[in-house]
Amino acid sequence: MEILIISIIKSLALIVILLTGFAYLTYYERKLLARFHVRLGPNRAGPRGLLQPIADAVKAIFKEEIVPDHVDKPVYLLAPALALIPALVAFAVIPVAPAMTLFGRTIDFAVADINVALLYVVAITSVGTYGVILGGWSSNNNYSLLGALRTASQMISYELPLGILLAAIVLSTNIGREMGTLSLHEIVLQDRPWWLWLWLWLAFPVFFIGVLAESNRSPFDLPETENELIAGFQIEYGGIKFALFFMAEYIHMITGSALMATLFFGGWRGPFVVPGTWHGALIGFGWLFIKILALLFLFIWVRASVPRVRYDQLLHFCWKFLTPLSIAYLVITAVIVVFAG
Amino acid sequence: MLDPIVSLREAFPDDVLDSKVYRQTPIVTVRADKLLEVMRFLRDDLKYNLLSDLTVVDNLHLPEFNGSDARFVGVYQLRSIERDGELLQIKAPMPGGDNPAIPSVTSLWPGANWYEREAYDLFGVNYTGHPDLRRLLMPHDWVGHPLRKDQPLGGERVPFTLTWEDEEFAHLGRQIMRPLQTPEPVPSRMDTRHMVVNMGPQHPATHGVLRLIVELDGETIVAVEPDIGYLHSGFEKQGENVRYKDFTYYTDRMDYVSAMQNNLAYSLAVEKLLGVEAPPRAQAIRVIVAELQRIASHLVWLATHALDVGGTGLALLMYAFREREAILDLFEMVCGARLTTSYIQVGGVQWDLPPAFEPRLRELLAILPERFDEYERMLTDNPIWRKRLEGVGYLSAEDAIAMNVTGPMLRGSGVKYDLRKAQPYCNYDQYDFEIPCYTEGDSYARYFVRIEEMRQSRRIVEQALDNLPDGDYRLDDPKIAPPKRDLLDQSMEALIHHFKLFTEGFRPPAGEAYHGIEASKGEMGVYLVSDGGPKPYRCRVRTPSFANLQAIEIMSRGHLFSDLVTVIGSIDIVLGDVDR
Repeated sequence: MEILIISIIKSLALIVILLTGFAYLTYYERKLLARFHVRLGPNRAGPRGLLQPIADAVKAIFKEEIVPDHVDKPVYLLAPALALIPALVAFAVIPVAPAMTLFGRTIDFAVADINVALLYVVAITSVGTYGVILGGWSSNNNYSLLGALRTASQMISYELPLGILLAAIVLSTNIGREMGTLSLHEIVLQDRPWWLWLWLWLAFPVFFIGVLAESNRSPFDLPETENELIAGFQIEYGGIKFALFFMAEYIHMITGSALMATLFFGGWRGPFVVPGTWHGALIGFGWLFIKILALLFLFIWVRASVPRVRYDQLLHFCWKFLTPLSIAYLVITAVIVVFAG
Repeated sequence: MLDPIVSLREAFPDDVLDSKVYRQTPIVTVRADKLLEVMRFLRDDLKYNLLSDLTVVDNLHLPEFNGSDARFVGVYQLRSIERDGELLQIKAPMPGGDNPAIPSVTSLWPGANWYEREAYDLFGVNYTGHPDLRRLLMPHDWVGHPLRKDQPLGGERVPFTLTWEDEEFAHLGRQIMRPLQTPEPVPSRMDTRHMVVNMGPQHPATHGVLRLIVELDGETIVAVEPDIGYLHSGFEKQGENVRYKDFTYYTDRMDYVSAMQNNLAYSLAVEKLLGVEAPPRAQAIRVIVAELQRIASHLVWLATHALDVGGTGLALLMYAFREREAILDLFEMVCGARLTTSYIQVGGVQWDLPPAFEPRLRELLAILPERFDEYERMLTDNPIWRKRLEGVGYLSAEDAIAMNVTGPMLRGSGVKYDLRKAQPYCNYDQYDFEIPCYTEGDSYARYFVRIEEMRQSRRIVEQALDNLPDGDYRLDDPKIAPPKRDLLDQSMEALIHHFKLFTEGFRPPAGEAYHGIEASKGEMGVYLVSDGGPKPYRCRVRTPSFANLQAIEIMSRGHLFSDLVTVIGSIDIVLGDVDR
């Protein structure tokens, strides 16, 4: 009973934080893009435009609900939810701060600390693809169909290098321990020698590209490509249904950044973090927050400075370059683990 | 020096009806039934290989018509790229009275296709042997042919009127109405087993109201058919119903991102018709603003091209618009308008340059080179940009000439042809500049051509500014250009001239003139026929985008859907320029 209540509280907190995070991520992106573009960005609603996301949310919610005649209704309505829920759920296993003791009880700062967390993240994020594909398919529109088809092939391709790199990282957790682990919690806590950090960081660029493609971000935003497919799979969606797709994409970004921060940059670890205390939890969360912000900055920076690749080039790049590269990385990691572990 | 009139008379002694040289342009009238032979001879033997313009004049109200059989006259402007764009005008009176017919020249120049469809649409001329003679600009159910002289201006039933009894009003308060289902017909040549996508008329990458019907096999383009005319405003008909001076304001609205160039083309054509030339200072000012306009226009191209290829987040859009903004500020300084300038007028320019203009322009000229380098740093060697552009939208030199393509597109296909060098106007021969030319013929080559052209335009502006002559900024002829403001207070005569000029306008002698300039997108030409009255009898505008857009199918067939966006961007169309 007690664990149920705690889980519900944690889940609620997570959803609230993620949704607010999404809202202010749009603000963050718009402000940053404006900086890159020599513009001002939103600055009318509230001081420095800080209320802009709230205004946007209110607008999206109160827009007239339009369901076009020619769509496949049940699937059409289901698709945005199918895209958003996995994005939210995937975050559940990421430890956001060190555990702390309160009223004699140890509190973990992850909704669920499961021992196959990495597997879980990979599995759940793939489900989100269905939302996009079904949304495009049920819209009964040439453009959204093209968008959905692109999504399908893109997502399937990019799972591959990402999965292989994750396998390499899991292998590397064997070093200095009795056995490896899939738990993100333990990956954060693991003490890695300096050369292992360097070796892992070598994989980061490839992993980052994979995450860009996974979360449909520029320059790999081919399912939407506003300049060719107008908005791709979401062309027939308006109001809050459109906002849900939007949310899914941005929460994917947040989750992806949190995952990268956890795997490559030590998650909540940083100076002045004393595990077990309340201030340790707070500072630890702060560190993770800063790391996520920095990674999100990368996402936006790339968007402002790199043109979009073409669909076939994206697949070529994945299958002919990224996949062999990540396989090579996996092999070398295995060799390292055999000799060093 | 080859004399086309002599050669034509030798080759076709019985078929040349008339020949003359008017305002330095040889004009030859030939018999319509021999038109194809004459044209083939001109194209292959005399090397007049570029069909600059094809149009029709309705002679109904001209004295020479007199109820004869040939009411309509086909007018062809030919240029020879080999011989520096030398111009030759061929006229062919069409037999058939009110239902004229003439052989189509599409077999010689495939690019004549749209021109002849346009003439069929606007004049009702039947081109025998045309592959696909349909209306082009007007709605397909429009009755009549608007440019015929017996077609009144106005008086057309406007289908937009509403009364309170109309059923639309029953839905008031319910914004979303069930739309009337009017499926657009799929062009007959397209295979409906493939996916036929309707791109436009509202689509972010078509730069306006252009509709492309695209046949896709998977994502590979099988066929593209542009559907234009959404922005057709009947400027030519307007031009025939206003005085010469007043049409300048219409030209602004054609290629609305390079208004100065349009003003210049029109003013030069009227001046050619009048047989006058603007004073040197006016010519230099014209060069300055026209070249600034070229930079501004190319900046819009660069920004939108990068936007199309790169996505909305790409920062280059705003960088290019930042510099364009500075140029528009300069235009505002000289004439008060930023987009619809109407600054270049018949006989000169409207006002002299203000004193603050020069320092501001020098400031801009100083920063431009590093800004151009900055754009190039962002794009030129970017592997994604190269992969998106290299080899995409290939247009061979032969195809380009056959499709009447001009401007940066022609130069990107390896034909070093620029009217500023070939047929210098406004004293362009006094400036030192290069014509950038690349032989690859793909979008990447056209990208380089335009980037380099901006640098060269900057050089021209600098030279023109350094050697800006003193003197009048418009013609000192009160019959053509308004007298100076201070004269109006002193001289009764000046006041009378001013009054006469603005109430009656000027009357060029009866005759005809075609003048083409190198506008930012290609040859912008104006063909005027005067019957001695204050309004042009025939006013024809040859716009570059119209011809360039026709090549889209050649350039995009076999590429992917995404490449179509690249191709549209690298053609650099402005729909106001296409539809007029």
